[in-house]
Order: sequence, then structure tokens, then C-alpha cells
Amino acid sequence: MSKRDYTIEDLLSVCIARQVEDGELLAQGLATPLVAAGYLLAWHTHAPNVYFASAIGQSVCREGAPLGLETIEALWLDKALMNVGFAGAATEILPRFKPKEFFRPGQIDKYGNFNNVFIGKNYLRPRLRLPGSGGIPDVTPILDEVYYYVPRHSRVTFVKQIDFLSGIGRQGDKTIAHYLVSDLGQFDFKFGVMRLTHLHPGINLQRVKAKTGFEFEIASDLKETLPPTAEQLDLLYETIDPLGIRKLEFLGGAARRKELKIMLQQERSVSYETA
Amino acid sequence: MNDLKMDMKDAVELIPKIGGRLAFGGITLYRRPMAFALALLAEHSKSGFPRDLTIIAFTAGLETDLLIGAGMVKNIRSCYIGLEAFGLAPHFTSSAAAGEINIIEETEASLAFGLKASISGVGFMPSHAWTGTDLFTLRPDVKKVIDPYSGEELTAFPPITCDVAVIHALEADPQGNAIIGGNLGVDQELAMAAKSVIITTEKISPRLEKADIFGLTVDAVVEAPKGAWPSSCHPLYPLDGKATLKYIETAGKEEHKLLVAEWINYHNLNQLA
Repeated sequence: MSKRDYTIEDLLSVCIARQVEDGELLAQGLATPLVAAGYLLAWHTHAPNVYFASAIGQSVCREGAPLGLETIEALWLDKALMNVGFAGAATEILPRFKPKEFFRPGQIDKYGNFNNVFIGKNYLRPRLRLPGSGGIPDVTPILDEVYYYVPRHSRVTFVKQIDFLSGIGRQGDKTIAHYLVSDLGQFDFKFGVMRLTHLHPGINLQRVKAKTGFEFEIASDLKETLPPTAEQLDLLYETIDPLGIRKLEFLGGAARRKELKIMLQQERSVSYETA
Repeated sequence: MNDLKMDMKDAVELIPKIGGRLAFGGITLYRRPMAFALALLAEHSKSGFPRDLTIIAFTAGLETDLLIGAGMVKNIRSCYIGLEAFGLAPHFTSSAAAGEINIIEETEASLAFGLKASISGVGFMPSHAWTGTDLFTLRPDVKKVIDPYSGEELTAFPPITCDVAVIHALEADPQGNAIIGGNLGVDQELAMAAKSVIITTEKISPRLEKADIFGLTVDAVVEAPKGAWPSSCHPLYPLDGKATLKYIETAGKEEHKLLVAEWINYHNLNQLA
């Protein structure tokens, strides 16, 4: 096994993988390669009997394949056990199985209520229109546990007051928000509000406070997140995501496009080699 | 037997000139009817029609963003409008910020149940979706209903229909039976819910033995090889990521016209432009 340095995207993939239990059904939304990397890592290690249900392809799968950009459908279609379509996924698979899913909030409050529709005070003239809420308003009302990931922890995302409620963390007195991992640490909602349980290596509490727009609780036995193992890193770099697509979730604008260009070039050279 | 084969030019004429409700098959960047969307755009740049379109797309990507960029879209009905790993849909995002486009906020459940209600011929489909969210404030037309058996309050999603659905197929026969591959989206539902259906297809075969969409709902079959490019047509060809990136980079700039002209040329739609 090689000795590699790990990056923040590796650490988040590993944190997501650790939340997966063997034998369960895992749902993956659109444009969430970091979540796919985490799920596949779990499947390669402690959870070989999971099933996957991805928005891309709307299939049920139990075999993984490497992440792709142009070839992303190969992952969820070539090895599909069953094709359900989006109507079948939304009206049957999701309400029937209530699969575990990691959501990426556009805004989130301390109760885990979240927004993926628009940012700003006026819906008709939003400061930023987001792509939309997908199936989040459909599944969060019926889930028992909601999982989140935030690649760029900031006061833009962690806010006192969300501008719109499209995803539920707490309904009435019932807390369903369960777990959140960001690039700074890990949180639970054990006592109804977001609570820091782990700081990532090299991150101090002051930094998390400075980057969060509300007061969160802190576990009395605050721990440090365990770094990835050499085996996990080998799997991520060699088998699951050799192109590094999981990194895209941390980048925007020109920086994202620059990385995309490099990855597309590499992906084509790899697919032509195997073709 | 009914022969539904048609040229792209004639199929474009099936779209209402003003205010048509047009559904696109496929999802985000996969098996989108790109040749058809570009043919519409070419027709619009020549004649000014069709315009004031209402676009219905389960998830909307390049095909819809293109038409928004051309100023052809008045309303958009979707649960996700973006380019997935490639980023935001540029024309949609800027039009939404400027308040230039009317968004009918949907979710996966409201679209899927809405299509099912329409197909079943009932006034609504009940669901737990949206309970406790703010979606109702943006969609006052969506009402709640009491389950007559349990007394539970549920969301009553209203039916969704459209004037024309355009679906890109891997293979079709002249009677409109079509194979669409594994990435189904809601195309089978769209084909049943739409008032009329146009199939664009990679190839036309004399008579299919198996099909995902059956011909009785179909009005036109248009041969359009590579008709989903630059979106994918799994497993025949993948998404063209470089073309998608170039689209994002030229959006809002003068070069965008050049890119659209190139794409129209790629699909041999010059006679329409």
C-alpha cells in the first residue's frame, strides 16, 4: 500500500462512507460525486451488500464502477439490477424504502431545516437562484434521519434564518436532522440543534465559530476526526475516482471549469485505451 | 399501417406558435432532444416563432437553457434546472435573477404524481410530499386533502399535461413504437400524458418487436441520428463534456451565437435557419 497525503475531499468521502450501514439502500442525488465516492468506498470496504439508487439513471444497483463525467451513466446503467425510471423512483422507491441520502444544503439553520431553491429575500428577484429542490421536499417529510454534507463551510450556508424551507430537519418538536459533515468538522443534532462532535485535523474551534452564522452546541467530549487509512486512500485514488471528480464539489466558476477540462481530457484518454 | 415518419421541418410546425406547453424527454444531460430544440431555435430566429413557451422538463439542462437564452421561454416547470457536475445553467440563472422568467416550482413528486394523475384521468394524486415545507407559498394552486380512510392530511398534486412532448429514442418504427434505453426519466409517462408526441430517433426500423413507448400515443417520428448530442444517448454515445463546457463559457457572450450556429450545423438544420 502506498503512503499518500490525503485531501479534504478524501476526508469527507471517508466520513460519508463511515455513516453507511451494510445491507441498506442508498440514494444519491444529482451532481453529488462526493456522496457517490463515499458510498462506493463503503461498498468496497465494510458494506458489500448495499444497494444504490441514483438520480442519474434511476436504477437499483448493487455493483459499483468508477466515477465519470462523460461516462457517468455507465456507473448506474451498465450494471443496473433494475431500471425504475424517475416516476417509479419518486412515487414508489423513495416513499417505500426511505433510503439513506446525503443532502447538500444551499442554506441550513441550526435545526437542520434547509433551502435549495433560492437565496435572497425576494423569490421573484433572487440574489442567487439555485438549480431547484429536486426530491428534497418530498422525502424529508417522511425520513426518520436526515444526513447532510457541506463542502465549503461558511456563513453563506450556515445561517440564522433560511430564506426558504424546502428540506426538513425539524418538524414541530421532532428532530430528524441526524448528521452533518463539512470541511471543518462533524456534527450531530442529538439535542435538537446542531452540535459539533468532531473537529477535522488542523481545524480549531474558533475557525468553525467564525464560519458559522449561528451559535451551535459543542459536545463535552469533542474529538478529532480520524484521518483516512492507506487502504481507503488507495481505493479512492485507484479504483473509485481516479479522475478526482469528487474535488469538483469544492470548486466554483473558473476554477471548476479549469479542473473539468483536465478531467475530461484524462477521461477520454482512459476510455479510448480500454475501448 | 399508419406511417408517422416526418421531416424535422414539419415536426417543428406541430409546436403552437405562441404559448405552447412543450415537454422535453430525457433528464438533465442525458438523452435530451437537442436536435429538435435547436430546430425550434432556428425556426424562432427566422420567423420569431414559437415564443412564450412553457417548458416542462423533469430535470432541465442544455435543451431548456438554450431556448431561455434565445428568449423563447416564458414559463419553466421543473424540479432541477442546471448542468449537474458542470455547474449552473447560465441563461436560466441570469434570467431568474433578473425576474425575466416565470418559474413554476416543482419537485420530483409533484411532477411524477402530476403526470400520473393526468394519465389516470383523476383530479389529483395524494402524497406525503411537501408536508411542512414552504413549497405551498410558491404554489397556491397545490391544495391539501384529507384521507377519507385515515383522516390524515395529504398533499393533492394536480394533473400535469402538455401540448407536445418531444422524446429522443434509440430506435423507433414508422408507427411510433420506440426504444429509449435504461435511463428512462419520465418519458413513458410523458408519452401518455401529452396531447401529442414527437419521437426523434437515432434510427428508424421497419417493425420493432419490443418497445418502451408504444405507437398509439405518438404523432410523428423524425429520424435524427446523433439527435441527442451534445447530451448522451446511452449506450450509443456518451455526453460531450467539452461541448457542454464550451456552452457555459460562451453563455452571455458574442461567441455564443457562433456556438449555436455550429450546433445547428452539426445537426444539419441549416435549411431551417
